[in-house]
Amino acid sequence: MKERIFQIVSQVLGLPIDQIHEQSSPENIEAWDSLKHMNLILALEEEFGVQFTDEKIVEMLSVKLIMEAVEELLPQAKNDSQR
Amino acid sequence: MNTLSYSQIQEELSPEKLAPLPPLNITILRNITLEPIEPYLRYLGYQMGFNVHTRFGGYDRIFQEAVGGQKDLLNEETDCVLIFLKLETLSWSLARSFPGLSLEQIEVEKERIQDFMVKVLAGIRKQTSGMILWHGFELPAYPALGIIDPQQKAGQASLIQDLNRFLRDILQQQPNAYFVDLNTCLIRIGARNFYDLRYWHIGKAPYSREALQEIAREVFKYLRPLKGKNKKCLVLDCDHVLWGGTIGEDGLAGIKLGKTYPGSVYYEFQQEVLNLYHRGVILALCSKNNEEDVWEVFQKHPEMVLQREHIATAQINWRDKATNLRQIAADLNIGLDSLVFMDDSDFEIHLIYQVLPEVTVIPLPRDRAIEYREILASCGLFETLTLSEEDRNRGMMYRAEAARKQLQRESINLESYYASLEMVLEIRFADEFSIPRIAQLTQKTNQFNLTTQRYSNADIQRLSESDSADVIYLRLRDRFGDSGIVGVCILKYEADQAILDSFLLSCRVLGRGIEEAFLIQCLKRAKLKGSKVVIGEYRPTAKNGQVKDFYLNQAFKAIGVANQVYSFQMDLTTFTRGEPQFFKQIDSEIDK
Repeated sequence: MKERIFQIVSQVLGLPIDQIHEQSSPENIEAWDSLKHMNLILALEEEFGVQFTDEKIVEMLSVKLIMEAVEELLPQAKNDSQR
Repeated sequence: MNTLSYSQIQEELSPEKLAPLPPLNITILRNITLEPIEPYLRYLGYQMGFNVHTRFGGYDRIFQEAVGGQKDLLNEETDCVLIFLKLETLSWSLARSFPGLSLEQIEVEKERIQDFMVKVLAGIRKQTSGMILWHGFELPAYPALGIIDPQQKAGQASLIQDLNRFLRDILQQQPNAYFVDLNTCLIRIGARNFYDLRYWHIGKAPYSREALQEIAREVFKYLRPLKGKNKKCLVLDCDHVLWGGTIGEDGLAGIKLGKTYPGSVYYEFQQEVLNLYHRGVILALCSKNNEEDVWEVFQKHPEMVLQREHIATAQINWRDKATNLRQIAADLNIGLDSLVFMDDSDFEIHLIYQVLPEVTVIPLPRDRAIEYREILASCGLFETLTLSEEDRNRGMMYRAEAARKQLQRESINLESYYASLEMVLEIRFADEFSIPRIAQLTQKTNQFNLTTQRYSNADIQRLSESDSADVIYLRLRDRFGDSGIVGVCILKYEADQAILDSFLLSCRVLGRGIEEAFLIQCLKRAKLKGSKVVIGEYRPTAKNGQVKDFYLNQAFKAIGVANQVYSFQMDLTTFTRGEPQFFKQIDSEIDK
């Protein structure tokens, strides 16, 4: 799951995947503006077949927080990635 | 188009694939956040063979950009301007606090909006002659006055409809400007799926991904004919498509077709096909069957909606369908990329994908027969921007063409064959009645078109009024019927030379000496105007190879090549050629 999230973040923000870290956020990635954030959320929702609440969307402001938000909705995805 | 995810689109659209394609410049003026529509526009553009460049105007800056001017957004390179004017941003009171308004306040607000739309439209048109697609206001899912609303002339829904009608009327008065009905998109998807309330609140982006895809598809229904990429002919399989079952096995009484289930599925599908016929789409059959069996259904089945007279040409035999589709294209004198092929068989579908990628294939999965009508109605491939008399009669004209081919086989030499057609050419200057058809021909004709210059109604209007240009059209009638306007020539005059800016003929009238007669007429006109030489140009495209040597064959001299443009000239001072003798009549207003 982590890999898929990194992939999407890199694709939407137009950055090589090795520049993406768990700590990546709008603070340290210039391309991550509010429009890109919307595209990111839409792409994540499509990829994982989930829907985030509005409150979650405005909080998911780092790769780490994104991973936590996806795990929350897909607990089995976390298990898969640990196995 | 199947529903594609954002990341699938990103993967599919690589810069290497897009770079060689011609550009399609789309400018988006809006008072909402709409950037997420971009990948869908780019993807649909790519499917149509274009590299889409989008330019977004500022958020809620429509008025400033339209009226004040904004060169980087609106210019002569702009192919299309999309306008998204959402009522919530434009007029909160009409959209959301309607019940608190007095009738006077409603009236004042309505006038303000109408004035806004008039000024914005005029402002855009001043800056670009590109296509304008203005998306109308959406109807509210929950009208402001509840169940009272639909009872009232002054209800909110009724007011929004009034504004949409007003908008449509002012758009209609502008050339190349169209009203896009967002409500049809909304109906298909339903309001619950059309809006994404989260992003409406977070970022003033009202539409869901599904809605944005649907809107982008609707936009491309306009862009396809604008770019001459609309399809001309629908080729249909028969068994499991026009009727349920197999005629060869189930027999006339055994196939499913009629007003009740399960035959109703095919009955409704046929009705949709017939509706396309009446909108100018050519119909053809391509079926593995005994030919007599299929025609027996057409002649004897009481529930057939389609009749044999609607079918321009048919390949009903046991050959492979790629060969048959090639034959159909040749019979109709149209390109393979003008065909749409519908079939239920995976084998046939994949064969065509493999062998004839130019043909658009629409698979009809047998277990989804109830959706056949929807699949056809939603495809958006046959859209035209206008519906002319020629379009309505096209099917008839193509049948006449088939009859002519029959006669051609019977005639011994070509001249006597041409004479037997009893052709009458009518050659006239463009007038208000012919301008839409002339513009349409410049937009749609690909094969017999020397320069492939595309012109809008407004362009043709302007040229026809100019003293330094002539817009000439050719109409053909023969013993089989009236083919309507089938040829266009635009002459431009500069000092003592005339330039053949455009010279084109519809493919279905080629090969009977008409091109020669029409050219000679136009040369006579240029001479009458006092030109000493006439210059013809050939601009190669992927489609017009057949006219490469046209001017040489008509006794022009090659004078050079520059930037892929081949130039030819003819001395008019010594020009005395006459038209071929086999026409019954050449009725011309331009040679005297």
